Amino acid sequence: MLRNLLSRTSIVPCFIALLLGTLVVAAPIVNAKGRPPRTVFLILPDAVTPPTVNVQAEAIGGGHYHLYLETEAFMFTEVCVAEAEAVPIGHAHIHVNGKKVASAFFPVINIGPLDAGTHVIDVVLRGQDHRPIVGRDGLAQGLVHITVPVGPA
Amino acid sequence: MERHVHMARFATALPILLLLTQRASGHEAWLLTPTEIEDLSSAAIPSLFRSQIWLGLAAAIAFAVTLVALRLEPFIAIAEKRFIAPFWKKYGDIGPLVLRLGLATMLLLGASGGLPRHGTSAWSVSTFLVPDMQLVNVTGADTLIVVQFALGVLLVAGLFTRACGIALVALSLVGPVIFGPVFWSYSPHFAAPGLILIALGAGRFSCDAVFNLDSADRLVAPYRQILWRMSHILIGAGLIYLGLAFKLMQPTLLIAILEHGDMPTFGVPMPIIALVMTGVEILCGALLIAGRLVRPVALAILGAITFLAIVLGETPLFHANLYGALFCIVLAGRCIPIAHGVTRFQSVRAV
Repeated sequence: MLRNLLSRTSIVPCFIALLLGTLVVAAPIVNAKGRPPRTVFLILPDAVTPPTVNVQAEAIGGGHYHLYLETEAFMFTEVCVAEAEAVPIGHAHIHVNGKKVASAFFPVINIGPLDAGTHVIDVVLRGQDHRPIVGRDGLAQGLVHITVPVGPA
Repeated sequence: MERHVHMARFATALPILLLLTQRASGHEAWLLTPTEIEDLSSAAIPSLFRSQIWLGLAAAIAFAVTLVALRLEPFIAIAEKRFIAPFWKKYGDIGPLVLRLGLATMLLLGASGGLPRHGTSAWSVSTFLVPDMQLVNVTGADTLIVVQFALGVLLVAGLFTRACGIALVALSLVGPVIFGPVFWSYSPHFAAPGLILIALGAGRFSCDAVFNLDSADRLVAPYRQILWRMSHILIGAGLIYLGLAFKLMQPTLLIAILEHGDMPTFGVPMPIIALVMTGVEILCGALLIAGRLVRPVALAILGAITFLAIVLGETPLFHANLYGALFCIVLAGRCIPIAHGVTRFQSVRAV
């Protein structure tokens, strides 16, 4: 019977059946955790305090702003690596109206000049490999709205 | 005897698969906007990918389709013999030419920063083989840029092509050393074209042929079929890994990317489309490893990556290595001729 099973005609179907069977068993086990895609996000273990960021903006004239990133359970570093450990260390990406404008390696950064009008500033904490950090409470993200007045600020 | 050959083939493939079960990232993730990233962070995994019943049903259907395809293989082989084999006899040298030029374009643009990662300005950062691997704060970056540039120039000229193939295999192994396990998802798809170059040589349209410089031809000849089959196994293993690690185990990422590209669904739920894509990729990989339905599988993969490139608005140059390798496979099929020439075409059995 084993000889028949390993014959030239049946070994490929057997190989494919074994492969598919393994995946059918394994995939639901992995996916049951329901975690975000690990290749996109740096997922912190549940035991680690999730980092938070609160963003404050201060106008400094000419449409420029100081952004103060008040973080908790997070450490800034200038060092980037190809693949980071799951720890709350890294930098922040600054997006203005959905477009990335800067990376912040320190808790204070200058952005601008911004055009007159209202802008949404979105700050996401990233690991040392640039992946957005996700803790047990979700994405480590801060938002602030800035309204730039018309004319000299 | 044949049974042992089959078992040896699978035994060769298994360590490669195990080696590849590392964590890795894909360039597609960089396409997503901040809002899409935010949505993705809280997206629920579709029940289709969490249910053993649904996955089992899908696997049963996929298995049945595969069995039917395998039963049709002799008829497909007749059609291949009638339509593609004569083309290979006459124009087989186009295969290595396409592969060389595709690889050279990737290497030259990578070295000069002309093929940047999504969101990075062109010509600002050099990359290593693929757009994701930026040569920033990397030890030996200057050397790697020079090596890539030199390889690109030699491949365009078709000069010392088999040595270039060896160098490409070496670079695909250097990648994980420099960038870590993240590079293993790319390595097989650069090592395989390298092996194909070693096996096929540069072809007629090259300096090697014009100046009769291919002295390595005699050294490589006894091992051509082995190298050729190894290239299929590597491409197949790479496809299985990508399907497993990026699609089956991270379906929300695939769905987010497809939604980002506004892919037409014709009313079919996105999780089903994602599952079909996953299944096709894994089955194609398995069949390539097994050496069955090689030409149809290569055609199917070519079609799939072209479709995705169009949907996502990516340049085909991101996959020029695969386009070249798969084009060679479509032309030559499971076995390659002993003597790669027009007048001395002879077919041999694979090892």
